[in-house]
Amino acid sequence: MAVGFAVGVLGVLILSHAAYSTIQYRTLLKITEEEFSGPPINVVFELLLGLVLCMWAALAVPGKFQSIQLDSDENRVVALPSNLDFMIFNHRGKAFPLECTLKLK
Amino acid sequence: IAIGDLYDAMAGHDDSGASEKKASDFDIPTFSNENMQSNMKVIYYSRTFMSIIGGVIAGILGFTGLMGFIFYFLVMAITSIGLTAKAGFSIHSYFDSWNRIILDGFLGGLLSFVLFWTFAYDIVHIF
Repeated sequence: MAVGFAVGVLGVLILSHAAYSTIQYRTLLKITEEEFSGPPINVVFELLLGLVLCMWAALAVPGKFQSIQLDSDENRVVALPSNLDFMIFNHRGKAFPLECTLKLK
Repeated sequence: IAIGDLYDAMAGHDDSGASEKKASDFDIPTFSNENMQSNMKVIYYSRTFMSIIGGVIAGILGFTGLMGFIFYFLVMAITSIGLTAKAGFSIHSYFDSWNRIILDGFLGGLLSFVLFWTFAYDIVHIF
């Protein structure tokens, strides 16, 4: 988690360095009065590196995926919630027929 | 008399219930909802962060108009592939359908992307 965060910070720093390089490139172009067609190739590589690092951080930092299967190993132990008003149980009640048209007269 | 009516009603309904049990399937797919929602939150955070980073990169590269939106969809597609790889390509143990990881939240980051795209473009190219 901390490694992913550090990688993300590094990626953002590389992106800001690429932005600064592009600003300097543009001031150079303004001096020589040329058109801006694209940043120089080393800035493009820097942006690509920054994108890869930030992608890695975006996948690693928010947390791991948790299994949703009810019979997987990490879902075995279930703690009873402290709020007694709302509890969810899995029981065999779903095996009962759903239709119930009994009416008390 | 009322109790007799109740017994007759129950007997009648048991028969119809038994015949229905053979016809329909009671296997409702269940999964742990809180884990599912925490997984959706993880996807949301990842997509939002990648939208912002994609916006900054699009601004630095000087994209204008349609190219920027194409870049956004490219970044979202790469994020989808990355999320699928993070889930180990076995989607069904973490989500209930493929749509969750591929389509959900695809357009949610679009506004953040445009904001940071405009921001970065202004900083780098205009000021």
